[in-house]
Amino acid sequence: MGKWFKSGTPWIWMTGGAVSLSLIAVIGLVLLIGWRGLSFFWPSTVYEFDMLDEQGQHYNLIGEIYDSETVLKAQLISAGVEGLEDKGETLERYLIKIGNREYVDLDFQWILETIVSGKTVPKDVVVLERTKNGNFYGYIDAILENGQPVAINKTQFASELQKRVIRTTTFKDQEDQLLGSDIGHINYELEKIRLDKRKLALDGLLTEDKIGQFDKQSQRLRDQYLVLEEQLFAYREQAQRDSVQLRDMTGRKVILPISSVLDFHLPNDMTFFAKVQHWFHQVGKFISDDPREANTEGGVFPAIFGTVFMVMLMAVIVTPFGVVAAIYLHEYAGKNNITKFIRIAVINLAGVPSIVYGVFGLGFFVYILGGSIDELFYPQALPSPTFGSPGVLWCALTLAILTLPIVIVSTEEGLSRIPSTLREGSLALGATKSETLWRIIVPMASPAIMTGLILAVARAAGEVAPLMLVGVVKMAPTLPVDGNFPYLHLERKFMHLGFHIYDVGFQSPNVEAARPLVYATSFLLVTVIIGLNLAAIAIRNNLREKYRALEH
Amino acid sequence: MIRLAKSSTQREVLTHLSAEQTALEIKNLDLYYGDKQALFDVSMKIPKGQVTAFIGPSGCGKSTLLRCINRMNDLVDICRVEGNIALQGSNIYDKSVDVAALRRRVGMVFQRPNPFPKSIYENVIYGLRLQGIKDRRRLDEAAENSLRSAALWNEVKDRLHDNAFGLSGGQQQRLVIARAVAIDPEVLLLDEPTSALDPISTLTIEELISELKEKFTVVIVTHNMQQAARVSDQTAFMYMGKLIEYSDTNTLFTTPTQKQTEDYITGRYG
Repeated sequence: MGKWFKSGTPWIWMTGGAVSLSLIAVIGLVLLIGWRGLSFFWPSTVYEFDMLDEQGQHYNLIGEIYDSETVLKAQLISAGVEGLEDKGETLERYLIKIGNREYVDLDFQWILETIVSGKTVPKDVVVLERTKNGNFYGYIDAILENGQPVAINKTQFASELQKRVIRTTTFKDQEDQLLGSDIGHINYELEKIRLDKRKLALDGLLTEDKIGQFDKQSQRLRDQYLVLEEQLFAYREQAQRDSVQLRDMTGRKVILPISSVLDFHLPNDMTFFAKVQHWFHQVGKFISDDPREANTEGGVFPAIFGTVFMVMLMAVIVTPFGVVAAIYLHEYAGKNNITKFIRIAVINLAGVPSIVYGVFGLGFFVYILGGSIDELFYPQALPSPTFGSPGVLWCALTLAILTLPIVIVSTEEGLSRIPSTLREGSLALGATKSETLWRIIVPMASPAIMTGLILAVARAAGEVAPLMLVGVVKMAPTLPVDGNFPYLHLERKFMHLGFHIYDVGFQSPNVEAARPLVYATSFLLVTVIIGLNLAAIAIRNNLREKYRALEH
Repeated sequence: MIRLAKSSTQREVLTHLSAEQTALEIKNLDLYYGDKQALFDVSMKIPKGQVTAFIGPSGCGKSTLLRCINRMNDLVDICRVEGNIALQGSNIYDKSVDVAALRRRVGMVFQRPNPFPKSIYENVIYGLRLQGIKDRRRLDEAAENSLRSAALWNEVKDRLHDNAFGLSGGQQQRLVIARAVAIDPEVLLLDEPTSALDPISTLTIEELISELKEKFTVVIVTHNMQQAARVSDQTAFMYMGKLIEYSDTNTLFTTPTQKQTEDYITGRYG
């Protein structure tokens, strides 16, 4: 035994065990959120349950089995459930998603196995995804055009509905296009004219002549708007032509305009291949769509875009800053106690809780810096702030100072690893210190700089707390990048995946509907961070290969 | 070829060299690392167009003295130099001297090959690029000439744009010599250029040194007495920071005037 200890074997096992544990933790985490998040998009079977309530009445429930749990009989009896005497020790309880939010009290219901007297898998049950009120589960009774049923037989309902959904979607897309880009552009221009006018008024340069010009311009824009508006109404009218008549689980007749239907599928009538296709389609929509209904439905595209955009902006800010600071500390600063103190201070900055950076960002960047920018450059817009309110630029700056220590430390490490012979070699050829730095030292330190950047990006992409103070919002109407000059709108608020998780998970009006989205969004956030890291690692490996250190 | 005094004592040696024949004149040089003195009152004249070797046991100050000639010691914060070194008659420790310009005139090759992480071609023309030369033809020409004078051209002419780390140690050292030669210095300092190399590479470098002296004044530091005897015209023996004996190589190795020199070359210490 003593010999075994001396041989170091237990030590090896311990270290190996620690590595395996970390590995298992990471893989387990990714698998869990991946599975929970991604299985949400799989078209699960919709059952029709035949239910028997306490009064002996039969009624129907249509829905997906969302979750299930095992409960102890004793627990149920003490909760006041009766008629369980002849049952086993434990019972199954199901969470059923029944949708149809506007027609039922609860769109998620827990049911006990004892009150289910039977369940069937109806082939013709249809699931409609709607713009409002979540999913609808039921059967198609008829398809209506201008309120009149279209004469087709039952088997053609699905294909006919498909056709009409596509038609309506085309009109709705055109409508969105018109609203978002053309009408949005006119509004933007009108606002700009108002601001220009105000600016001239503030400067005392507003003459009758100018007012005439401005009025003419805005009149022209308003005329354009009227034309577009007419077009918009025409599209809307077209989109409202069709509707679908459905029957829900209670037998109620429901007429839904097709303009409120985003998509539909018949989950019980799908082949495996069709389900896979549907899954990919749903995942694609999740990634590329805007969120709906207080973020509990729809996609997360603005949040993905916001996260990536903000992180890149941060990287652009922090890299030069950190590298220059590290170069000064390592190359120029005297090797004395002050430098040592500064270095310790920088390292300690990394340990400051991130919310503190958020408070600092709000106080310094948003109010002081942003406020001054507004006063100097945007007085015409006051009192409504331009840069003086939280926005993506301030977020990027706040995270940049948060990650600055990481970049400084790893850059310094990289600088100190470069053999001094290379430095001397360059100096001996008549290079000055700065020439040596830029031609030899910094390129050779670039893999270390990239390492710092990777760590910084990983930290920044996962940071939420400070962002809530300096620019993240639940719902941003516009992206920070669009087609209106100057294209980059750094003062805008934005959405962020991390905050989205918090918002959907804890601030959502419909907890059950939001739960899978929390997993899906988490998985996406992890994927985005991994993606950003992999990109940076690829660049670093490339650089490493190029500046491979000397082999001695 | 300059005729040297056959026999001489310390400090008197080579004093007769005229200004034109002298590449470097070191006068009463003291050097301190903090409180510790590393060089004591060194004075010598290094003749133009010849190979001068510094020998001596480890820590005797021969490398330190060499690094004074292109002011490489400036990089050491605690290093302080007194006395002066005249290159072509003007003091290199004068306040008005541009150190970068000085190092263009005094090239240096280090103990270990230190090519930059660039292509062979870029390594050779590094110094020229620093001077702002952009003319492609001139750079190509300089690269070829330098590589030829470093006896490396034939080996690398087909892979000029490969990474310099792909070369062997001996090739790398010759590349570094080519790099130093490319900026056309007056003096070339070699700091134990073969100590990290195998015997065959060493031989190549030694042959190269004898060719280099046609164009440059070469000062070489070596811990290898045979090497000093093979390649140099003059040899200076240093011990404990002092210049003990300096004379032409044959004299120093056959009839040393100082006891310490004799002990060292006969292998009694070092």
